[in-house]
Amino acid sequence: MGIMFTRLFSSVFGNKEARILVLGLDNAGKTTILYRLQMGEVVSTIPTIGFNVETVQYNNIKFQVWDLGGQTSIRPYWRCYFPNTQAIIYVVDSSDTDRLVIAKEEFHAILEEEELKGAAVLIFANKQDLPGALDEAAVTEALELHKIKNRQWAIFKTSAIKGEGLFEGLDWLSNTLKSGGG
Amino acid sequence: MFSLFYGLWKHLFSKTEFHVLILGIDKAGKTTLLEKLKAQYSNVEGLPPDRIVPTVGLNIGRVEASNTKLVFWDLGGQLGLRSIWEKYYEEAHAVIYVVDAACPFRFEDSKSALEKVLRHEDLQGAPLLILANKQDLAEAVSAEELAQYLDLKKLDERVFTFEAVSAYDGMGIKESIVWLVEVMARSKRTEKLSVRAVLTNPGSA
Repeated sequence: MGIMFTRLFSSVFGNKEARILVLGLDNAGKTTILYRLQMGEVVSTIPTIGFNVETVQYNNIKFQVWDLGGQTSIRPYWRCYFPNTQAIIYVVDSSDTDRLVIAKEEFHAILEEEELKGAAVLIFANKQDLPGALDEAAVTEALELHKIKNRQWAIFKTSAIKGEGLFEGLDWLSNTLKSGGG
Repeated sequence: MFSLFYGLWKHLFSKTEFHVLILGIDKAGKTTLLEKLKAQYSNVEGLPPDRIVPTVGLNIGRVEASNTKLVFWDLGGQLGLRSIWEKYYEEAHAVIYVVDAACPFRFEDSKSALEKVLRHEDLQGAPLLILANKQDLAEAVSAEELAQYLDLKKLDERVFTFEAVSAYDGMGIKESIVWLVEVMARSKRTEKLSVRAVLTNPGSA
């Protein structure tokens, strides 16, 4: 009964819930982004082994954000979290040009996953505060985003440290989820 | 072999799906148009214009109009992002080019971006619908006036038209789509694209 009221309440007041996965190579800035979104602060992080999960309330959407560890050895476990995901935030260290090829390969492998077929894709070209960071056009090129033709995507320049670009990305995400999906 | 015939059969008797690119410089109203299309042709509400932010990537709209399946690809129009447009040309059946008709000082920018689009060989023979958008604003020029401003040459081989629309209130959109579906249905490019689809991907054509 309680659940029914909760549902009714949230449908009346437009509260939606969405499950979001934050993925990307190690040291891309996923955890920093998660806590910047959730608390508005920069926390000092250590490499994530496993996951962090937090709820972020924004634009009437309750984002359940899962930040999964990005090291090579634990990337195979990402797929355990794929079911029921509405969107993926893929984080790239825009200054780490040497590893952009690996970032691209991991990214396109994720897109192939059956369970993520309907998920919208948001790319954060992160670490814009660092010298030599590529802009969104260059990261678009490097990740070969144009190969995506059957789902919506967007890319934003972000600096998790300075807090720039993150909420613009969430704006896009909430609009996309509201206008009917990925 | 069977799958080739099956693909051909499916191709002949199922509804064709057309891919339509929505292009134009930033602030032309491409995403507003897309959302209006969704609202007019499908059950999806579509975002209200005041919620639309500049596109930095790809928005997609799938609708059914005139008994045809249409997939719209709306690509961001900011200068740095225009380089990705051409990656979508090869699979597009037609192009909708949106121009802010109420903003004459950007006509030149619009014109040169459009000329670049039309020069690209991957878009050969693709029908072109040019929209003089934002007719809800008093200062908007008419479709004829816009045609004069853009002064497009070398379009003789290509089917094209100018329409006056307002993506904001929906004026002129239905007529434009009727035209587009009609020309796509009988364009040589459509034939070429569907033959290629059958050959390269028999099962899912």
